[in-house]
Amino acid sequence: MATTRAILVDITKCIGCRSCEQACKQIHGFPMDSETKLSPTAFTVVEERGDRFVRRMCMHCQDPACASACLVGALKKTAAGPVTYDAAKCIGCRYCLVACPFSVPRYQWSKLVPYVTKCDLCAGRQAKGQPPACVEACPVQASIAGDRDEILEEAQRRILNDSKYVKHIYGSDEVGGTSVFFISDVPFEKLGFVAVPKQPMPILTANALGDGPTVILVGGALLSGLYWITERRAQVAVAEARDKANGRS
Amino acid sequence: MTSTRMTTTGTTTNEMTASRFPRISFWRTIVAVIFAAGMYSMYARFALGFQSATNLTDPQPWGLWVGLGTLCGVGLSAGGFAIATAVYILGLERYRPILRTSVLISFLGYSTVCAGMLYELGIPWRIWHPIVMWNRHSVLFEVSWCVMLYTTVLALEFSPALVEKIPWTRVRALYLRWHHSLLIALVLAGTLLSSMHQSFLGGLYLITKGKLYPLWYTPYLTTMFYLSAIPAGLAVTIMAIYLCVRSLNARVDMNILSDISRVIAPLLAIYGVFRAVDLINRDATPYLWMWREETGLFWLEIALLVVGPVVLLNLEKVRITPLYLYWTCAMIVAGFVTNRLNVSVTALQASSATYYIPKWTEFAATLATIAAAVVAFRYAVVYLDILPKNPPRQRWMVPSAPAQA
Repeated sequence: MATTRAILVDITKCIGCRSCEQACKQIHGFPMDSETKLSPTAFTVVEERGDRFVRRMCMHCQDPACASACLVGALKKTAAGPVTYDAAKCIGCRYCLVACPFSVPRYQWSKLVPYVTKCDLCAGRQAKGQPPACVEACPVQASIAGDRDEILEEAQRRILNDSKYVKHIYGSDEVGGTSVFFISDVPFEKLGFVAVPKQPMPILTANALGDGPTVILVGGALLSGLYWITERRAQVAVAEARDKANGRS
Repeated sequence: MTSTRMTTTGTTTNEMTASRFPRISFWRTIVAVIFAAGMYSMYARFALGFQSATNLTDPQPWGLWVGLGTLCGVGLSAGGFAIATAVYILGLERYRPILRTSVLISFLGYSTVCAGMLYELGIPWRIWHPIVMWNRHSVLFEVSWCVMLYTTVLALEFSPALVEKIPWTRVRALYLRWHHSLLIALVLAGTLLSSMHQSFLGGLYLITKGKLYPLWYTPYLTTMFYLSAIPAGLAVTIMAIYLCVRSLNARVDMNILSDISRVIAPLLAIYGVFRAVDLINRDATPYLWMWREETGLFWLEIALLVVGPVVLLNLEKVRITPLYLYWTCAMIVAGFVTNRLNVSVTALQASSATYYIPKWTEFAATLATIAAAVVAFRYAVVYLDILPKNPPRQRWMVPSAPAQA
């Protein structure tokens, strides 16, 4: 698959039927009872906010905080769009849960061998050319999937052509861009969307990490210099003491 | 009177050989209770899982074990590298008498952190994964490598105290000669590794922009963590040495401790100035006066970690009176713990709309690892040459000891 895939959720179209939730649970073999919050057995949920329905799921950031945080590289942004999780690498440090600006990953707290769980944008299905299960299940095309650029264009077309829409695509510039977009006729902050930084989150730590080599080089040189001075002083002191003892000073 | 006391001392230090059962004392009872609770916590964590052993949830994925166990464990163990740098690199020979103690404290501190990591990780038997699976964009990756390497450095730095007790002269001499040639490299590596991971522990929270409360979130979290760790680590060293003098017959020139306290005060003042300048630069000063729980915790932290100790350590009487110095250092440690728990727990709660109070098993597990380190420290000071002792050294290794038993 050459193109990057993405999902657009049009909140004005969602009727709250929860077909996406059901399809997601079915494809993962989870118990079918509806849940109100994301959980290890609910990778997407439809929340009621006033008279709107808001679908929550992993945003599949272009430059994900979780992937930069994961010390063993279990979380990865794939070229095809999904942010995937390799359970075989995970050591269970849960730094991804701390790092995620959208607080999406869920941990299997009740298990003895717990893993991190989250939506993977049906990476397996998409690789076979199928759309994500949730999108396929949507009876009113409130969620649509496709090539990221085309999906963004479509979102833009909709908010420009219809005055009811808020003039912002949530996900277009949030944390440097995501692969899941939302458009709405109600301001996003009223629908429980968090105001996240506009720059990619990994930049925040990259700057600090970039200082590492400098610290080693400059610090190393400085400490070696200080040690040299200390040594030299000690040698001079010994020599002076010897000279004194020999009565030559 | 004198002779009675001498005998008492004799029985206490020889109790390992003299009597089958250790004497029951107040502190031993406390330690026993902590260990018993710790055993249950261990069972809860490893046999029943996180849900039974902790109050951790998805909005609060890191709790007491990270905040107290890891952040404070590493931070409060900074004394070892500070003293080692002072003695070996800067040539401040007056601190040499307490060098071994501070290295030992650090080594035990890091061992505690590593043991705590097994509780903390969801899949602890994969603790070795970072060695082969690399992600150099991860601050945690850098921290894990630095901690691994520095714990090794500390073990090597401390090793002569154990090796010199080996009865085989040849092996001993060989090892000590090898160690001597390596020592400066070890100390240098230790200083760099410590500087890196002490700051990177703060760097872990750089990615929580938008989640961490503005009184604590700053791009200079790394600097803040580094600047606060050194004085706090030194405070722990002072406390430990004071206790050794008080209870373990160690003989230490108390002037060394007041010399260290003379260094701690300006370090804390610099840290305080950094915090203040940073808050002003980020226009975060309005948060200082908001009627919120975070504000109170912030001022508590500043009072205990900066204002209180800086004022107290400016008093000659506090610096030269070991007991006052001890309690001032305890205040610094309390302030430091408050700061780390604020960053790792309380300052993240408003954004995640959660309220986390650690389960008792979380406290018990952390306390038990700390208690284990304290017990190990005590036995090391009693049986190894860590600090000079007041009465002539107990001849613990005399060949006739087994015969006496």
